[in-house]
Amino acid sequence: MPRSFLLVALPCAFLLLCFVAPMAYLFSASVLIAEGTVPQDQPTLDNFRIILGSALYRGVVLRTFVVGFCVGLLVVVLAYPLAYFLVRTRSRWKGALIALSLAPLLGSAIVRSYGWHVILNQDGALNSLLLWAGLVEQPLRFLPSTPAIVIGLTHALLPYGVLSIMTALNAMDPALERAAMSLGASRARTFWRVTLPLTLPGVAAGFALAFAISIGAYATPAILGGPGTETMATMIRNFMLALLDWGLGSAMGVILLASALALLLIAALLGGPARRTVVAAP
Amino acid sequence: MRDGADRPWIALRAAVAAVLVFLLGPILITVAASFNGSARSTFPPEGFSLRWWSEALSARWWEPMAFSLKLAALTALLSTAIGTPLAFALVRRRFRGKMLVEALVAGPLVLPTLVTGIALLQFLHALGLGALVGFWGLLIGHVVICLPFSVRTVAVSLRAMPPQLEAAAASLGAPPRVVLRRVTLPVISGGVFAGAAFAFVHSFTDVNLSLFLASPGERPVTVAVLAFLEAGFAPTLAAVSVLSLVIPLVMVALLERVVPIGAFLYADPGRHR
Repeated sequence: MPRSFLLVALPCAFLLLCFVAPMAYLFSASVLIAEGTVPQDQPTLDNFRIILGSALYRGVVLRTFVVGFCVGLLVVVLAYPLAYFLVRTRSRWKGALIALSLAPLLGSAIVRSYGWHVILNQDGALNSLLLWAGLVEQPLRFLPSTPAIVIGLTHALLPYGVLSIMTALNAMDPALERAAMSLGASRARTFWRVTLPLTLPGVAAGFALAFAISIGAYATPAILGGPGTETMATMIRNFMLALLDWGLGSAMGVILLASALALLLIAALLGGPARRTVVAAP
Repeated sequence: MRDGADRPWIALRAAVAAVLVFLLGPILITVAASFNGSARSTFPPEGFSLRWWSEALSARWWEPMAFSLKLAALTALLSTAIGTPLAFALVRRRFRGKMLVEALVAGPLVLPTLVTGIALLQFLHALGLGALVGFWGLLIGHVVICLPFSVRTVAVSLRAMPPQLEAAAASLGAPPRVVLRRVTLPVISGGVFAGAAFAFVHSFTDVNLSLFLASPGERPVTVAVLAFLEAGFAPTLAAVSVLSLVIPLVMVALLERVVPIGAFLYADPGRHR
């Protein structure tokens, strides 16, 4: 079929040249670049050894995972009630509320993290409030800190959790809930014994998606973090653009890639209907 | 049962209200900060001032903003042009290696964008094309990461289309080209526009890829803001942030009036007919 060949060949050639080949080059760079930006002939695992051997870099990797795990957890816990309400409400504001909940997706992570900076910085909203209420004498330091990064990322990724869980709720047969209630189960019992177990795959998918996106996010840790709260993303940026050590940058990129891929694979295996969500990782 | 059953619903409403405050509060506070009279990014605002807005709209910030708009528009156009035929082939044709092509298209969506960015940066330099870093490098990278949106939304609307429509047109004597132009394309136009809109927004808001492919003279507004942040915070950034949220918001809201693109956000292809 020559016509379908043409439809497929051009886009695939583009992706092979501009996506697959660069990725392959990244893998080779992670074992071929010993210092600076130019590859040598002998492959070496030194870059991986340096990252996994140094307490500093291991700390960065560990912090990234702790942040990702907390963000994933917070996202699904906060997203569930909102998603449940948006799917089940019969309010005439339903459409507007869905739009309002998903609208933050239209802003970059910078817009959303900047708001948290305004709130959390030393003479920001939270400190003004605490001083005004007489709860503290001196303004507190909330920034830079790892919890601030967790809050900022949770905020930025919440709409993804809402989407995953809404998809799972939409895919569920509402007759099952009516059946449980008609058999005498209370609304709360119906939720815990019927709705939640049936939508758990969507929750797991939302968790893994938020986890995977947050470990690769640059803007939020850059704005709300600082020296001492580096994540893999900010470290990769330092290696690539400030220290010009492309070997270490590539090696950390490979570690980040493998981690995100593993998480999304888990999400796809657990996800069921939720994995069909059209929009995924940015 | 009724009275007792309504209590969880009230608790749910309270939780929903709290989550919405968490979700929208920081954005509203950013809006308030952009009108702040003081130079520190304090809240509540001290006095009212439009000077941050006049600074945000000056050439210094309008240039990267215009650069981002141009980049996003071209990205949306190119990824739609490449993605639509591909979606067609994936839904309508059978060919060997289809699974592989599907995996290839999903790749840029699944792998961290930041990694795609450092891969492209190094690859361009390795090919001796380091001069492309800047607009052209960004355009290539953005089309790569936005292509999955175009392919997926078009595929969703193609799968949702009743196959009898095309058969009916053909049986009434329409040649294949007329069927494509007068039946198929109008029916899937929602998916095409939704894909273009997602691509535009995804490109306009991207940080992780643009960070590595921008050059000092050719950088999108997100990268310009980050560079500015290294020097310190100023309410100008609040105004720039609000502006960069409002532009895609207005665009999508206008488009939504013509095509219901919101439906594609959580469309479940399995449930369409």
